[in-house]
Amino acid sequence: MLPDISHLIKKLDSLGYVVEEEFATILLLMLKLKKPLLLEGPPGVGKTEASQIIASYLNTKLIRLQCYEGLDVNSAIYEWNYQKQLLSIKLTESSALSSAEKESYIFGDEFLLKRPLLQAITESDKAPVLLIDEIDRADEEFEAFLLELLSAYQISIPEMGTIKANHLPIVVLTSNRTRELSDALKRRCLYHWVPYPEFQKELAIINKHLPDINQVLASQLVKFVQYLRSLKLDKSPGIAESIDWAEGLIALGAKAFTHEYIDKSLGVILKSDKDITNIRGQGIDSILNEIET
Amino acid sequence: MQHYNNYSGLEASVLGFCELCRSHELSIGLNHSEEALMAAQSGFINDSKSFKIALRSIFCSCEEEHSIFDRCFDIYWRKKRHEYMPKTRTRKQTKIIKQTKESVVLVGSGDEEETKKDGARTVSGANKMESLRKTDFSKVQDIDHLLMDELAEKLLLQLNHRLKRRLRASKDGKIDFRKTIRRNLSQGDNFFELLKKNRKFEKYRMIILLDVSGSMDKYSFYLLKFIWTLKSNFKNIEAFVFSTKLLRITEFIEKVQIDQAMLQMNTNSDHWSSGTVIGKCLQEFNDQYSKMVLNGRSITVILSDGLDTGEPELLSEELKKIKLRTSKVIWLNPLKGMEGYEPLAKGMKAALPEIHTFESAHNLESLMELEKYLSHV
Repeated sequence: MLPDISHLIKKLDSLGYVVEEEFATILLLMLKLKKPLLLEGPPGVGKTEASQIIASYLNTKLIRLQCYEGLDVNSAIYEWNYQKQLLSIKLTESSALSSAEKESYIFGDEFLLKRPLLQAITESDKAPVLLIDEIDRADEEFEAFLLELLSAYQISIPEMGTIKANHLPIVVLTSNRTRELSDALKRRCLYHWVPYPEFQKELAIINKHLPDINQVLASQLVKFVQYLRSLKLDKSPGIAESIDWAEGLIALGAKAFTHEYIDKSLGVILKSDKDITNIRGQGIDSILNEIET
Repeated sequence: MQHYNNYSGLEASVLGFCELCRSHELSIGLNHSEEALMAAQSGFINDSKSFKIALRSIFCSCEEEHSIFDRCFDIYWRKKRHEYMPKTRTRKQTKIIKQTKESVVLVGSGDEEETKKDGARTVSGANKMESLRKTDFSKVQDIDHLLMDELAEKLLLQLNHRLKRRLRASKDGKIDFRKTIRRNLSQGDNFFELLKKNRKFEKYRMIILLDVSGSMDKYSFYLLKFIWTLKSNFKNIEAFVFSTKLLRITEFIEKVQIDQAMLQMNTNSDHWSSGTVIGKCLQEFNDQYSKMVLNGRSITVILSDGLDTGEPELLSEELKKIKLRTSKVIWLNPLKGMEGYEPLAKGMKAALPEIHTFESAHNLESLMELEKYLSHV
């Protein structure tokens, strides 16, 4: 392992994020090449959190854009403050300014509402981390627009001209793979698939979040969750759910990982009625037996 | 031999590796080579594992490509050269193409002999295309198949363009503040002209259930083609095929060409050309998928001849459930194109009260006519 990488792993670990060698290598590469990073993987494996950690590692600001179907340029890049513009037109009505002057005034910085993408490239002191979350939910048109932004790092506003990035932002895109992203977007990014964590890693993550947890309980819980993931469930539990579950069990005052507590708190880890009846039908005790062997 | 020893210098060996990956169908552009070189120069090359991970994240664009990459990497950057180069290129590819063609012909023409017996209308001369438009899919002669395919592609593409245009032309809309303010700047705050922005066309979701049972054999290929055409207009399309079981084929539509998909579907399901139990299949659909795929802005299209061996009560009950969840249920029945057809089959009869639109889908012209239902949703 390169010394830079082991250093990065240690640093992230001290920030509370458990990262394995592969991911650390890619993070290092991203910082060196200044290329966007596309993280794909099932929900709840810590894709979004990765960008938060990068931001705190670099000690910079995190700007987040949550994508959704129908996300348009107005809510992603910028919008004019229309109310303010109208008021200003009224106020300057009787002034001696020419119409060209009025125009350049009301299309000035003061009337511009910056949305995440514009914010990210106009940040003045330090390159921010720009998180474009769940890009697979946005429309393809928006994806096409992102291409321009990600290759040139500039945005053109017809009334003001082209705005170039002061500092190239560090861009992280995440996707749950509900649809395939376009090749054009993919080839502009580094790609990393974030899988569900291995047993040791997940245990380490839970210990990070809940340092006081009973070790036997934690390891049994992780085994149980890993077993659940191996089944064909409607919604497999992510790491976030494991942490919630561990927290929940502590709150319930559980000293051991027993049938009674599992049954009570199954709703924390399984989020679908079908899955819950399925697991109850299979018998919690028999699952407990199985993970022990 | 593809090995880094054959190249002198860091630059040449990295580029040689790019070449190797490219020849194994990873899509690697010039920028990727450049970045790979940058990665190597910035120290990643000092550790083979790190180098592998770094290049993998640059070269691969999805998880599936990892295995190809890993193989290329292991061959190219291995420490010692050994005599037996593993053959990384497989012959599978060509096989698939061959099989595909067979399966297309298989489904497209149905039972060949039967077609001949049916005594299709012979068409010739200049108006061949015109008459092909009206020819029942089941009566297309073997020699006309290629022509028919071509025509189908052309017409369905037209349909697609028209649908797109129609959906965009809409007059009502909200006031566009941005344009209005610009236009009326000279009048102070008196807005003489209100500019509106067109409503962005709201995406409808389309759910298609295609009957692929034996009785539909001669139609299913063209109808499947129709589904593929619709996909480019309705981005949100969910497609299922059914006979005795239900199979979701949405992923095929999204990812692959129709020929490839036919092959995959054939191997994935053993129920092509079998019997029909519509009610049970719809029940399966309601249980598993309807909550996920149906909503107030969805059209459900069922393509089936309604010849059902299951219980009509179940069919009507399940259809009712679908009707509640969707904004429109359209049933397209190829048999309706036959002269004197009446929906007497008990399955069809049971279904009629629960559907909004009942149309035929037996030739290209009838498919084209569907435009009016699809554009006014």
